[in-house]
Amino acid sequence: MTPESLHNYLIVGAILFALGMIGFLTRRNMILMFLSVEMMLQGVALNLVAFARFRGNLEGQAFVLFLIAVAACEAAVALVLFLMLYRSRRTLDVSIWQDLREPDQEPIIDEEPLPPPPPEEPLPRLTPAGREPYHRGETASTRF
Amino acid sequence: MITFLELYWPVVVPTVLALLGIYLLLPRARNYPPLWGGLAAGLALLLVGTWLIRTEGIWVESLLFYSFAGIAILAGGMMITQNRPVHAALSFALVVLSTCGLFLLQAAPFLMAATIIVYAGAIVVTFLFVIMLAQQAGYSSADHRSREPFLASVAGTVLLGALLCLLQRAHTSSVEGEVVDFLKERLKIVLAAAQAKTWDKVLAALGDDEKLFKELKAAGRARTDAELKGILKGEEKMLTEPQPLPRDTKLTASTREAFQSAVDRAEVRLVELRAEKKTEAALQELREHFERVHHTGVRLQLALHGTLFPSQDLKLPDYSGTPPNRVPPPVDATGRPHMPAENVAALGRSLFTTYFLAVELAGTLLLVATIGAIAIAARRKEELK
Repeated sequence: MTPESLHNYLIVGAILFALGMIGFLTRRNMILMFLSVEMMLQGVALNLVAFARFRGNLEGQAFVLFLIAVAACEAAVALVLFLMLYRSRRTLDVSIWQDLREPDQEPIIDEEPLPPPPPEEPLPRLTPAGREPYHRGETASTRF
Repeated sequence: MITFLELYWPVVVPTVLALLGIYLLLPRARNYPPLWGGLAAGLALLLVGTWLIRTEGIWVESLLFYSFAGIAILAGGMMITQNRPVHAALSFALVVLSTCGLFLLQAAPFLMAATIIVYAGAIVVTFLFVIMLAQQAGYSSADHRSREPFLASVAGTVLLGALLCLLQRAHTSSVEGEVVDFLKERLKIVLAAAQAKTWDKVLAALGDDEKLFKELKAAGRARTDAELKGILKGEEKMLTEPQPLPRDTKLTASTREAFQSAVDRAEVRLVELRAEKKTEAALQELREHFERVHHTGVRLQLALHGTLFPSQDLKLPDYSGTPPNRVPPPVDATGRPHMPAENVAALGRSLFTTYFLAVELAGTLLLVATIGAIAIAARRKEELK
């Protein structure tokens, strides 16, 4: 692989990594934070595979295999922890757990209220299907 | 500061646009209309594609690269800015699929399949289930707000800008244009001379040796095409003009010195030994000098390309392919090193020879993670009461 192609793949890996970092620092849903971390790992994996192709060596690909295995472990343990936290407070918001902040740090308070939820759409009324049952005193000959 | 902008404006402009776009798109209690943020981010992506990414060669490969990379980055941007977590998880699955397409373009078919199965198959589906079970009706502050959108976007884009500037600098390195190819051609001649068996063959391989030595010295010193042509013509003022390119790294400077001294010594010894009687010992010494020139020349060529390589004295195993200190890896007609077609077999060989300990440790880690997950999640009797 020419250095130009390697350079292209490294750029894509760097962009994925930076986007994952922004997502991790920004989102409040614990699961979305974790998915941003996984996106950072994807960027790193892309870098490793690009270097493996550049050198004609499979060491980069072996490293990515270990990366996948470790990411799976991490997903399992993280999911269990999220589940335990959700059981305590019934929400996946990470800003609920603010008691662990530094003593001189101010808590994050949401000032702007969320908009009211949209009104529930009524369930649609469907035309009745199937045959009308026989009414009292009706027979097959009198039925239309 | 002004020189930084002059050097790296193709990096700074898309990065600032991306900052603006992502900041506008991040979820808020009252969202901005997504048009402006989307336009800014899309424009940033287009500029990166035109200014920073250079593709040439097979057009099918370039097209596939652009599609997969573009979809990966768009889906990544969508993932971090979506209000609804299910949409974000599905965008992440799209990121994984595009990255696997890029893996396939780089001769890694097993990794493509393994990543799709493990990441997009297992991890994303598991998290989708959890999201669906933990959903709340209406708006929730877990999904519709973000923590510190401005500071986080600034931090992320500063990191992105730094990475892209570093890549730009390493790619252009300290030389531009045809200097490296020029050096490569001359080094081929030197290698032929170093491997020739008799005096006549050596002198025949060298050809016009004054011109060759002059060209080797010019290639060792030049940093751009213009400098190269100027030095060859004899214009010394080329070297005293202020250089707009970034300076040589220490590695490049030291390899340049080694190359120059090897070339000077070879030139001097060639003149001396040619005057003496043409003996076997003299021929051997001359061939050693040329071998030295070739060796330092190849190291300079690699340093000019901006690659790092480990010391030549290490004996690295070749179970996984060409060892990284073999200089340079053998290439085929398109300029790429040969990768094994039986990717799975070669990966298996690599894992069970070079990385055997790592495989065992990864297995232990998986076991410990499983036990830990089960131990944490088990409902204790006290909770049920």
